[in-house]
Amino acid sequence: MTAASVTASRARVPLVRRLLGQPAFVYVRTMAVFAAVWAAIAVWKANPVLLPTPLAAFEAVIELARSLELFEHAFISLGRMALSLSIAAAIAIPLGLVMGLYRRVDAVIDPLIELLRPISGIAWIPLALFIFGIGNALPVFIMTYAAFFPILIGTIAGVRAVDRRLVDAARTMGVPMRRIVSHVVVPAALPALLVALRLGVATSWTAVVAAELIGAPSGVGYAVEWYRGLLMTPQVMAFIATIGVLGYLTDSLIRGLTTKFTPWAADPERP
Amino acid sequence: MTATDIPRATSPHESPSAGLPVRLRLEAVSKRFALPDGKETIALADFSLDIRQGEFLVIVGPSGCGKTTVLNLLAGLQMPSSGGVTLDDRAIEGPGPERGVVFQDYALFPWHTVWGNVEFGLRHGPAGRGLDATGRKERVRQAIDLVGLAGSDMKFPHQLSGGMRQRVALARLMANEPAVLLMDEPLAALDAQTRIILQDELLRIWGQDRPAAQRRTVVFITHAIDEAVFLADRIAVMTTHPGRLKAVIDVPLPRPRGDATRAHPQFQALSQHIWSLIRDEAYRATVT
Amino acid sequence: MTATMPIATRHRLLLGALLPIAAIVVWQAWGMAQSNQRVPLPTRVVANAIAMIASGDLPDALLQSLGRVFGGFAIAALLAIPLGLAMGRSRAIERNLDPLVESFRPIAAIAILPLAILWLGTGTPAALMIVAYAAFFPIVVNTIAGAKRVNPTLLAAASTMGLSPWATLRTVVIPSALPSIFVGLRIGLGVAWTAIVAAELAVGAKAGGGGSGGIGQMMFVFYAYSIELNRIVVCMIAVGLVALVLDRLLRAMLVLLLPWSKAT
Repeated sequence: MTAASVTASRARVPLVRRLLGQPAFVYVRTMAVFAAVWAAIAVWKANPVLLPTPLAAFEAVIELARSLELFEHAFISLGRMALSLSIAAAIAIPLGLVMGLYRRVDAVIDPLIELLRPISGIAWIPLALFIFGIGNALPVFIMTYAAFFPILIGTIAGVRAVDRRLVDAARTMGVPMRRIVSHVVVPAALPALLVALRLGVATSWTAVVAAELIGAPSGVGYAVEWYRGLLMTPQVMAFIATIGVLGYLTDSLIRGLTTKFTPWAADPERP
Repeated sequence: MTATDIPRATSPHESPSAGLPVRLRLEAVSKRFALPDGKETIALADFSLDIRQGEFLVIVGPSGCGKTTVLNLLAGLQMPSSGGVTLDDRAIEGPGPERGVVFQDYALFPWHTVWGNVEFGLRHGPAGRGLDATGRKERVRQAIDLVGLAGSDMKFPHQLSGGMRQRVALARLMANEPAVLLMDEPLAALDAQTRIILQDELLRIWGQDRPAAQRRTVVFITHAIDEAVFLADRIAVMTTHPGRLKAVIDVPLPRPRGDATRAHPQFQALSQHIWSLIRDEAYRATVT
Repeated sequence: MTATMPIATRHRLLLGALLPIAAIVVWQAWGMAQSNQRVPLPTRVVANAIAMIASGDLPDALLQSLGRVFGGFAIAALLAIPLGLAMGRSRAIERNLDPLVESFRPIAAIAILPLAILWLGTGTPAALMIVAYAAFFPIVVNTIAGAKRVNPTLLAAASTMGLSPWATLRTVVIPSALPSIFVGLRIGLGVAWTAIVAAELAVGAKAGGGGSGGIGQMMFVFYAYSIELNRIVVCMIAVGLVALVLDRLLRAMLVLLLPWSKAT
């Protein structure tokens, strides 16, 4: 469509209809419908423990936020995730670089990776409980383990996918190999690396909930389970919503970093 | 071993490259590759070619005839299986800035601006040795101006058109002040009109109105015959399976060349002659 | 790009065996040097594995978990594929339903386990709900992507041949979208397996070792009650093996059924 025809068709659609089409409005409308259906079922069931009304859940959120309890648990879980990701990335990225570049190293290390990878972080929880006991170390261990594999695999794939011609171009300019790795391979692999980090974030955020649910004295996963034990369902829902929001925010953060640091690799379609 | 024993163009003339010293030499070069199933393929067989100072030599041939292999050998990105590749009589042992390369898909660094790309070889390679920041800045400025991209310094490759990207690739090359320019089908990815413009630009940047002793030596690969005749001093025609030198044709069309050159009667005659040399192979490539 | 040459397959196998064998040897040596008799050892793990298989405990637990996975997975697929196709083909449907999908997608299945237990108890129905929820999102997201990417030229060809919308859906849209759908199914199955282990583990932890069954619960029992570390390791390996087998199975199906797809 040419610019002229677009503006022409826009002029024909009334202002109100256009406003109603905005993504923000559609979002609100859909969630409002969802809340209405939920409220209807809640009123019909009339069991505030089994299904509290949206209002009750909302009040629980406000209350937990006001008492700061919501934020306490959120920050604890986020802190654990940040720590785990740092550890996982600090090991996985350099290792992935080396494994991607040097086939011999890959041949030696890869089988062990492939043997451990299918054993999800969650499957480690019982053994890890025995080693670490209930506390901070357990979630961090599980999350680090969970984030490690996607980051490693993604880094290796990113390095392998670096255009050979870029390296050749640098070689023909006489650039030494070490410089080529730091100034060509790493920047070229950066988009893939950030995708790997996104996956690592998502995987470890799933793991944190599982780990905290079972074996931690704090954090959002723990809170969900704690309130279930007390049959305070609105609070359970409040924390579940928090888990969702935090998951979305951390993902958006990395996506924002991707756009900022690797503008040339922008993906037109939302992944 | 010069190419005197290989058929030449019919009209009597002085070869444009006669008398110039030889810079690059491929001598009885063969290149074999191992295939994944264990067999071997021969990309080049007993290939010999001299490239002289300041000449614009174009290699033409059907797809898969090994032209890119020749370029890779001259660039030092690959080593011959047998035979020798030399620059100024010294064996070529690897890539280097004195033999700059322009690749077909430009190979620009997407995370660098135009300026960053052009500066790259000076910053990180031997061509920049002895240059301080100011000296580097000047060289980069000159290279960007030379290719006609002044004003686009801060743009990123993904913001540029194909023609502009090719200019950046050239500027990046020229900043290192190479003695030899190796170009692998650099205009193939461009549309026909842009291609004609850039052919003119290429000759200008190369310095077609300067004497041969002061020009850079160019080895240019293409499969487009009209492009070859327009640009070249000499054309090396290759055959395929395995890659061999079929003929070396002189192109005595006057310089400087431009739109009028394409209408020159000798232009047509040369193009026809070269086409007749490779037509059969090109046909066979479409049915096998 | 790689900086080195490819290695021959023979060499690759030899190099590949080095680290795992070394790891097992070191583990065995370290374990034998420990005074604590409960420390897991490769030899004891193998012995326990044989015992657990022979007694039928391991296969039973695995089958129970797998049954839940396949049940929940089927539910998820039956819901997600039609929905994904609808959302992929209709901008209006997508715009309206997308907020719901994107709001719940970041909430991992395990997070809603407490709700599931509250509503459905600690048995199989809750497990099915968790698995279905977990598998739903990868399947729907990939189905939407597949439905969106149908080559418009193919659709134009279908309409010029006079096909009805329903026939177009059946003969053009679905086959085009199948590779993406398969990717979604493969990821969904993997997520489902992880989710069921997590769910059974959590339920085992909270329900005190009774009732839920499955491999996850068995693992927890070995941790909390009988403290059989070797058996925990056996379960871990079993979990990993099943994950591997399920993944390979779906990949093989993809290659077999859709040889033209490059989506492997």
